[in-house]
Amino acid sequence: MRKLLQREFAGFITLALFLIYLAFAAPSFYSLGNLRDIALANVSVLLISTGMTLVIVVAEIDISVGSLFAICGVCGGLLARGGLPIWMLPFAGIAIGSALGAANGGLVSFVKAPSIVVTLATMVAWREALNWATGGAWVENLPANFQWFGLGQAAGEAVLFSATAVLFLAILWASHNLPAFRSIYATGSDAEAARLAGINTKLVVFAAFVLVGALTGLASVLNAVRFSDVPANAGIGLELQSIAAVVVGGTPITGGRGRLMGTLIGVALLGIIGPALTYLQLSPYWEKAIQGGIILVTVLFDALASRAEKRPALA
Amino acid sequence: MNRATKRQEFILALLIAVEIALFSTIGKNFFSAANFFECVRLAVEIGLISLAMTPVILTGGIDLSVGSMMGLAAVVFGGLWQVAGFPLAAAAVCALIVGLLGGGINALLIARLNVSPLIVTLGTYSLFRGIAEGITGGARSYSNLPASFLYLGQGYIAGVVPTQMLVLAAAIVFYWLLVHRSVIGRAFYAIGLSPHGARYAAIPVTRRLTLVYLLSGLASSIAALIYVAHIGQAKSDAGTGYELIAITAVVLGGTSIFGGSGTIRGTLLGLAAIVILEDGLHLAALPAELAGISTGVLLVLTIALERLASRQRAAVAENQEFEMKNSQLAILCSTVIVGALIVAGSNWYLVKNLRSGTSGDTTAAKEGQGRLTVAMMPKSKGDPYFISCRAGAEEAAKEFNVNLIWDGPTQVDPAKQNEFVEGWITRHVDAIAVSVGNAASISTVLRKARSQGIKVVTWDADAAPDARDYFINQATPQGIGGTLADEAAKILHGKGEFAIITGALSAANQNLWIQYIKERVASKYPEMKLAILRPCDDDRDKAFSETQTILKVYPKVKVIIGISAPGVPGAAEAVKQSGRQDVKVIGLSLPNLCKPYVHEGVIQAVVLWKTRDLAYLTVKAAAALARGELHSGATSFQAGRLGDVKIEGTDIILGSPFVFTRENIDQFNF
Amino acid sequence: MIPVLEAVGIRKSFGGVRALRGVSLEVCAGEVHALVGENGAGKSTLIKIFAGALQPDEGEIRLEGTPIEHLTPAKSKSLGIAVIYQQPALFPDLTVSENIALAHEPPTAFRRIDWRKRNEHAATLLSRVGADMLPQAYVSSLSMPEQQLVEIAKAVDAEARLVIMDEPTASLGDRDAENLFRIVDELRKSGAAVIYISHRFEELFALANRVTVLRDGESMGTFPMAEMTNRDLVRLMVGREMEAVFPERNCTIGEPVLEVRHLTCVSRGVHDVSFVLRRGEVLGLAGLVGSGRTQFAETLFGLSRADGGSIAVGGKAVRIESPQQALALGLAYVPEDRRRHGVIMDFPVSMNTTLASLERVSRGGFLDFTAERRVAEEYRERFRVKAPSVDTPVRNLSGGNQQKVSLARWLMTEPRVLILDEPTQGIDIGAKHEIYMLIGELAARGIGIILISSELAEVLGMSDRIAVMHAGRVAGVLDRNHADAHTVMELALGHAAVGD
Repeated sequence: MRKLLQREFAGFITLALFLIYLAFAAPSFYSLGNLRDIALANVSVLLISTGMTLVIVVAEIDISVGSLFAICGVCGGLLARGGLPIWMLPFAGIAIGSALGAANGGLVSFVKAPSIVVTLATMVAWREALNWATGGAWVENLPANFQWFGLGQAAGEAVLFSATAVLFLAILWASHNLPAFRSIYATGSDAEAARLAGINTKLVVFAAFVLVGALTGLASVLNAVRFSDVPANAGIGLELQSIAAVVVGGTPITGGRGRLMGTLIGVALLGIIGPALTYLQLSPYWEKAIQGGIILVTVLFDALASRAEKRPALA
Repeated sequence: MNRATKRQEFILALLIAVEIALFSTIGKNFFSAANFFECVRLAVEIGLISLAMTPVILTGGIDLSVGSMMGLAAVVFGGLWQVAGFPLAAAAVCALIVGLLGGGINALLIARLNVSPLIVTLGTYSLFRGIAEGITGGARSYSNLPASFLYLGQGYIAGVVPTQMLVLAAAIVFYWLLVHRSVIGRAFYAIGLSPHGARYAAIPVTRRLTLVYLLSGLASSIAALIYVAHIGQAKSDAGTGYELIAITAVVLGGTSIFGGSGTIRGTLLGLAAIVILEDGLHLAALPAELAGISTGVLLVLTIALERLASRQRAAVAENQEFEMKNSQLAILCSTVIVGALIVAGSNWYLVKNLRSGTSGDTTAAKEGQGRLTVAMMPKSKGDPYFISCRAGAEEAAKEFNVNLIWDGPTQVDPAKQNEFVEGWITRHVDAIAVSVGNAASISTVLRKARSQGIKVVTWDADAAPDARDYFINQATPQGIGGTLADEAAKILHGKGEFAIITGALSAANQNLWIQYIKERVASKYPEMKLAILRPCDDDRDKAFSETQTILKVYPKVKVIIGISAPGVPGAAEAVKQSGRQDVKVIGLSLPNLCKPYVHEGVIQAVVLWKTRDLAYLTVKAAAALARGELHSGATSFQAGRLGDVKIEGTDIILGSPFVFTRENIDQFNF
Repeated sequence: MIPVLEAVGIRKSFGGVRALRGVSLEVCAGEVHALVGENGAGKSTLIKIFAGALQPDEGEIRLEGTPIEHLTPAKSKSLGIAVIYQQPALFPDLTVSENIALAHEPPTAFRRIDWRKRNEHAATLLSRVGADMLPQAYVSSLSMPEQQLVEIAKAVDAEARLVIMDEPTASLGDRDAENLFRIVDELRKSGAAVIYISHRFEELFALANRVTVLRDGESMGTFPMAEMTNRDLVRLMVGREMEAVFPERNCTIGEPVLEVRHLTCVSRGVHDVSFVLRRGEVLGLAGLVGSGRTQFAETLFGLSRADGGSIAVGGKAVRIESPQQALALGLAYVPEDRRRHGVIMDFPVSMNTTLASLERVSRGGFLDFTAERRVAEEYRERFRVKAPSVDTPVRNLSGGNQQKVSLARWLMTEPRVLILDEPTQGIDIGAKHEIYMLIGELAARGIGIILISSELAEVLGMSDRIAVMHAGRVAGVLDRNHADAHTVMELALGHAAVGD
């Protein structure tokens, strides 16, 4: 327990310090409206990072989520325009995302190609394929009930928020209490031992990729309905953002460990930097540097903390 | 150990042979010495980084920060030379030192503190680029470098061999010796296969890893210098995305991503496969997106083939895993791949079917006898603005009976623009029309095109005047900036605060417009104040979030000026959702993206020209030049449905910017 | 009586190598069935087939008379077969209780886990195997013997009809081993069948009812244990008579080559270790697993940083902060964990041999491949490494030959002091004997040797003096003539005061 808490500790401390500093430097940051806007803007990042956490726990990685995000959004928009009932959109997003995730997962677990290579390939290929197919054109003239699922802004926001919260909490719960999810941790911890314990490790890895695909698809649709049309260039850089969130949240890239609460902290930390800089009236030109700095500081803190604690045993 | 690598190298060599055979048939002037050297020139920067990436990956690491380091080194070099007045050589040395320092940061965290390389370099990836942007304020760039320096990136030795090829050759020899012939190289393999084993064998693991990351930083900064000499300009966006291309080249070349196996030869083959593919696609006038798609497919294909081949030889490994039957595996794989293809296909089909307006398919030109070929390049193919231009270009091509090649970078990338022009020169098209992303960088190649008898026009954004015959001037930056400032003043009644949402902080034309907005405000509307400027990375969602925050932090802001096609609707949506009736949005965007908001009254004015006419005029002018119907010194020229168009000096004037408002916007569909 | 497990004509090949060539075996309820054979004889392959981790090419497995088709790990588990692997098959990032639960709980994917029940259950099992640890502890925080106990608890829990133990005592101290023997006995009495693999014959004679001997993938037959002698077993395993195991040595011991004074490394549990090693001397380092012998050796070799104490090599005081420095001073360390530390599995024999002395096969930092091959070939012949060529990856060699490559690497550095950490662990008798001969030879050449071993007979048989460690300290140093198994054990258990 202690050990796991410590892994999230670095991210948590950084977030806390940042929040305290904001409370003094820009108290208006804590307005309800602002917090709501930030939360909504990060709904999709949280969903994707949740999936990414599980992929990283199983000791793989998926850098194609940004491209998947764009494809699912465009497909969702086209389906809505093609007359798909609006309530079915999230399910369509999940289905398309799962199919794309299955392509990644299949190549990783059944062809045994390294996941970073496979998803690098699919990231580039899907992105360019989408560019080619759409020629960059946005999906416009969507039905009026596309935005907010036709529920209006307030209700729509509530739906988005609660759907994400429920899903996140469900996966959080499951990651502790369902054998299916525990087998992800077991496989990531030691794949051979998992196999000997009767776990179908190939299926577990495959399922993790399908899951991150499904969550990305859902996130894409939930994000799309905040607007009245769908751009074709969405999600660029999303993969790095979500991996950074997971890492800042204390999940080691080597797999087997990692908790979703940490990821939530990571998403929150990276999500508030942008708006906070505006609140602090800092130059936007340094935003990227600050973001990189925060990742490095968290990582450094974690490294030093675990170095101090750990026996230097390599054996 | 090397069997898998060798096999993959063999597969790759075959693929390259296929590529060469294919492009020799369908690409024009592909199989020529000149084109070979052009390919090499294009490969130098990526090549240097791929070479440095090879030992990084061999030791089981990865370095995502190389592209960002290029940006930082370029900016440091340019800044020290131009601003601080350092001699060129001293500035170059400082840039190299910065590269070593950056590599040192990576090395410290990775080798000393044992943090995962992926995480560390993910952090420095943001950090380095961020510092580069911070130093230059995103916008500043350093050009007018002396010819002696530019020779490094643009010159030829003995008239045929590109100068930077020597650097690449030296780097290849260096890395080959280091990796394959030296005691140190042996350590790379040992560390990659078993870091513990290497340590117990008294190999100085920390020092070797440090060396690898230092060299990676150094190679990035050398690549940055060559890049600057090649492009003729030092800017913070140098080398964007190079890390992924380099990793792709290395992995494609058979180096295991887990470390411990791979060769320099493989990396060079991987690099060749990628460069030849891109060059071949340009020369065959196939759309550039195919490069990305094919690279992805190649990557999966070579690895899958290698895996399947190695499976046949069933390893003797003691802990051999229980294998699924081959037939089962084949079925599973094909199901997965077919599934993916169906998704991709249906996606493509849906888009094709539902896309309205543009006439669709690629314009792969079939050169008939006597028909002119005009190659036209947007700044970025995916930008809705340029998509709307394309329709006009196609209209003109049909009307005036010319082959139109419409291609360009899929994202804004000045270096890529040069590659396209180089390709077109080799292909020997009749006229080239470029929307210039970076004047300093492209002018050299445009001059080269002119020297070979190709007519050159620029459109949308201009190059150096002597690098082109005519510039199709849709509206001057002063005109655009002024109009935007005037529109804002109209809403504010000359008094109050406004904010700007720009596209990318490093986009030259956007920065120019912002500059003219500021000038106009300063001279004509002293009581107006620019409260804040935020970038949206041409991402609608980011523009939305940024605007939400601005509305809260700067409640006095009443007008938001969006200077990015996706930025304007993003800002408008944010204003709309905030319920703030008192805030209005104006900006530079496309009427179709903004129509709903214009009708709702959130967007008051969209400033733009008639994009279709601009491209139409460009193609017409290029064709007229190539046919000899338009000569220098003309004062007007007959442009089809646009009638007589005025020429001022070497500017062909389309007219002043057009302001779309609620009253007129429904007449336009682009 | 129907046997619990019957295997008939099992064949298995990896690539071109035939690991099992038609092995038959039957194990009855209430029996402890010993399985012996040299390394590479096919024992591990056979039990992996029983566990469902490997599929046989041919042959039939019957469980209580019913033929079993296509055995998988999950199926094997559900049929009541539990396996304790030599290398614990545990999840380092999960808790003890979850590790235990994963071994026995039915594979339902979507039913809520009752953590309290799991923990209570685990606590019961742990106390049954005499393990003193919290069910909530992470396995990564446990020592090797503790992990082995968890592994045993897993098997005990499964209420298995057949328990397979692959060298369960390899990393256990005597007290834990006693505990294990008690559990094996309980299992037998409760009617389960046990297959027990070990290289330690005394255990087998104490525990087993019958024994099956494997040699080169073939069964040499099954015999009642009571009718066998040590010599019979060796003959069946090796196919020839073995001469006296330990070589006679006429040692001339010279001046001190290594003096260690008060060496301490708190973080690794090494406290105040002092001794003197002389030229041509073999100093045995005995002690229980976890007594700090390996930790001491690694501190001495610069793999972990010492907090205090001094080291003198050849009479000169030195500081050793990295393996490179140790190497330069003429120290060599052949580590315990051969596969992870001793060799680079994917390097060929030649590159493994030269790895620590590349300067001998290079000029100006550049490798001379011809010289490398020549030197590697030389060492391969000298050490009689059985490999098709020096280009064969070490992964494809047997354990004993891997160990020889590891030894060759360090002897190529021409050390003055050679530290051998469990040099014969898990290797077969033939190879063991060759290594003993080699140790004798090296000592005769004037190298000072520190021999770390958990096999008492080995330490007693090979050493000139024996230092016994207990809890990170040297509990006593015994002269060859005064040392016997009893005294050493007493010191190792911390019962006696410092000898001498």
